[in-house]
Amino acid sequence: MQYLASLLPTMLEGTVITVELFALTLVMSLPLGVIMAIARISRFKPLNLLMQFYVWLFRGTPLLLQLLFIYYGLGIVGIRLERFTAAVLAFVLNYSAYLAEIYRSGIQSIDRGQYEAADVLGLTYFQTMSKIILPQMFKRVLPPISNEVINLVKDTALIYAIGESELLRVAKTAAVRDFSFTPFIVAALFYLVMNGGIQQFFKWLEAKYDYYR
Amino acid sequence: MYMLQALDIYKRFHRTEVLRGISLRVEKGEVIAIIGPSGSGKSTFLRCLNRLETVDRGMIEIEGEVMVRNGPDGKALYSDERDIARLRRKMGMVFQDFNLFPHKSVLENLMLAPVIVQKTDAVLAEKTARALLDKVGLSHKADQYPYQLSGGQQQRVAIARALAMNPDIMCFDEPTSALDPELTGEVLKVMKDLALEHMTMIVVTHEIGFAREVANRVIFMDEGVIVEQGKAEDVLLRPQHERTRAFLSKVLMAR
Ligand SMILES: Nc1ncnc2c1ncn2[C@@H]1O[C@H](COP(=O)(O)OP(=O)(O)OP(=O)(O)O)[C@@H](O)[C@H]1O
Ligand SMILES: [Mg+2]
Repeated sequence: MQYLASLLPTMLEGTVITVELFALTLVMSLPLGVIMAIARISRFKPLNLLMQFYVWLFRGTPLLLQLLFIYYGLGIVGIRLERFTAAVLAFVLNYSAYLAEIYRSGIQSIDRGQYEAADVLGLTYFQTMSKIILPQMFKRVLPPISNEVINLVKDTALIYAIGESELLRVAKTAAVRDFSFTPFIVAALFYLVMNGGIQQFFKWLEAKYDYYR
Repeated sequence: MYMLQALDIYKRFHRTEVLRGISLRVEKGEVIAIIGPSGSGKSTFLRCLNRLETVDRGMIEIEGEVMVRNGPDGKALYSDERDIARLRRKMGMVFQDFNLFPHKSVLENLMLAPVIVQKTDAVLAEKTARALLDKVGLSHKADQYPYQLSGGQQQRVAIARALAMNPDIMCFDEPTSALDPELTGEVLKVMKDLALEHMTMIVVTHEIGFAREVANRVIFMDEGVIVEQGKAEDVLLRPQHERTRAFLSKVLMAR
């Protein structure tokens, strides 16, 4: 018990970094993904192709590789980023690509009739998207989005690889130092609690959107 | 001046020529029923009138203003986007499958476009919306969502939504075809009321009874052309063309 208490301060510090990365990634990639999805279905070919390439690149390579590339690889050509900045950049770029694809399929699942109804009522493209299509899309993509968010919690552990003292690294350091597996158990509990909270949040969100079909 | 004038409209999808020289002149207050077999181009023609589809060739004028005409190269030349937007707003459209906005309440469905397109004051827009709901007999459904309504009620909301923009012409594309037979009556009743108020209406329909009772003019289309048109009782009771006769006997037989 006393050992547990002694672990907590450092582990909480690690958790803060994990949570910061998690939150920053979401705050940026959730809206960015929407913009990318709209660009991806744009009739303007160059933009469309650019987004296809982007999604192909960031979904087709490991996040770990992207992280290492941005932190160490860019360093070689003189672009030195802070550890945490590099981490956020890699995560935002990667998660935006995944979210963009989820949004895109959500947007494309909306019936053509919705666009036509908005069109004959005189709504502009922007009004149609913001008032009619995107609100309906968000409801439909909640389940896949919640999967991504849970993946994100677990993926934060990857920044271990660039030497950031996030939750898992702190746990490992303590485990090796004290020759104990308790830190790993504590770390696992932290992840589980976070994901439990997220699941509850999405349950609540889905219930909130249940007012229509 | 005609409410709407369409001259020599041509339209093809890929290889198939769907409209092959259709012309139609609509006077204010006229109710026009367009009938014809499946695939004859009725919907396409209606959709061309408010530019849900673009025409390849031909001229369309709304209340004397040109929306599209033939350019020097003989191909359709559309007017300025802003003018088109203004002209399109004179036309209301009702679809076969309603296309209500499912995430908006009935009242919100009616208020949305007036508020964000016409910039109508929300209080005024709500007043108009409630009056229109009353007119289609659905005041008590104002705060419900589309999925909570029957098909007939949804279509009446869709009609009210189109009317909320205060259009001069109402277009209907088979407004009762997606409905169970026992629900068509309530929708046709609303349309009949509109006709009595001298709304200019263009209605693609399979409801021969409605066409006979309400339409001033019936147009029979087949394979992208108007085969026959005239007063409702002439076309429906004394058709001149073999194809019209064949179509009518098939439709009347089916009921
Ligand atoms: N967007 C499209 N792309 C390709 N072909 C189309 C398109 N829309 C319609 N068509 C074709 O054009 C022809 C006319 O279609 P249209 O929908 O205008 O017929 P309709 O008279 O309304 O028939 P129905 O009574 O079945 O509604 C059909 O052969 C149809 O397959
Ligand atoms: Mg049709």
